[in-house]
Amino acid sequence: MNSDDPDHDHHHDHAHSRHPTREDDDVALSYGEAKFLALKSMLIEKGVLTADQIRRRHEINDLLTPHQGARMVAKAWVDPAFKARMLKDAKTAAIELGIEVTEAELMAIENTPTCHNIIVCTLCSCYPRSLLGEPPPWYISKAYRSRAVREPRKVLREFGLSFPDTVEVRVHDSNADLRYVVLPMRPHGTDALSETELADLVSRDCLVGTALPAQDAS
Amino acid sequence: MTERLNSDIGGLPAGEVPREEIPQLFWEKHMIAMFNVLRAEGVFNLDELRRIVETAPPEQYKRSSFYGRRIDGMAELLIEKKIINRDELTARTEDILREGTRDHVR
Amino acid sequence: MSVNASPTFAPGARVRIIDLKKQGHVRTPIYVREKVGTIDYFCGAFENPEDRAYGRVGGARIPLYRVRLMQRDLWPDYEGPDNDSLVLEIYDHWLQPA
Repeated sequence: MNSDDPDHDHHHDHAHSRHPTREDDDVALSYGEAKFLALKSMLIEKGVLTADQIRRRHEINDLLTPHQGARMVAKAWVDPAFKARMLKDAKTAAIELGIEVTEAELMAIENTPTCHNIIVCTLCSCYPRSLLGEPPPWYISKAYRSRAVREPRKVLREFGLSFPDTVEVRVHDSNADLRYVVLPMRPHGTDALSETELADLVSRDCLVGTALPAQDAS
Repeated sequence: MTERLNSDIGGLPAGEVPREEIPQLFWEKHMIAMFNVLRAEGVFNLDELRRIVETAPPEQYKRSSFYGRRIDGMAELLIEKKIINRDELTARTEDILREGTRDHVR
Repeated sequence: MSVNASPTFAPGARVRIIDLKKQGHVRTPIYVREKVGTIDYFCGAFENPEDRAYGRVGGARIPLYRVRLMQRDLWPDYEGPDNDSLVLEIYDHWLQPA
């Protein structure tokens, strides 16, 4: 028996603190959860892992949020040398901000006035989780995975974005060992903002390519 | 042309992208944490998990959610590696469902 | 990263993504098979997921490239300008000079 949960979607608010969790007691015990609990207790009994290891990892994962990516973008906007390092090797550049990227490789892709970038993983759900945390429900949906490569402009319109024909829309299918983060363009009229304020303009979706940074967070 | 894997859906027709956002449930996050620990311990690798998920029956893949596929895939992989026993897993799962509580080792 | 595989294709080279008709786990999606594109970037060399997926780890590393394809070449009914493109990662053994 399998663990279908078709009416279930998942999300993280853009918050600098931990990921919000929906309390399990909100919903009835599902087959998937029961299977997970059974599996976990069996693995603990067999000494494959401990409850403590899972708990510790859970805590660490809760600290991974899109704000980490936003901080990298804000720094790239104010510091051209950092931006160059980020574009050359984003995984190493992240270390400068105290961010440890654990995927094999991380590549930052820059939006320009003539090119807008959008990221997808058609084959599964590859996403720079150690930078941004878990992907949103739309990213892991079959609809996004199927359509983002074939009709990206139509998908972007569903997200409220449209680009003239003079702007290339470039899709990156994250199908192997690289993970991607979009480096959006800095919005106009933000010269007076601090690096922290600039980071607040950059939502999770900006880092995947389905949103553009707000003009001003205030 | 080769037969298409379950998961090889790039370019297939589909409806609107679902936009509703609900926070993850605690158990889903805990499952992801367990998945991370199993990989870090070298019990299995990510490519093995992908392969297992791809070989689920196509109808099951189509009807499933990401988190459902992940727990099913992990279980199948651990059974394949003879680390756990399928019948025991099924029995325990059904016990837990019948009890209806989450009063387990957290 | 790469210790034992240098790239056989240079950035800018025209390549065809061949259909190896290989059963089992592969990371080359059907929608790009037998399509022609350009090498965009050499990612380095990585273990072959086609082996890792069956527990065969620690094997030889294979060059991996970002390959850029034009959307109008991938989809007959593509909605967008001619210069819209798509980039994905392809392992060396799936590529031939075009």
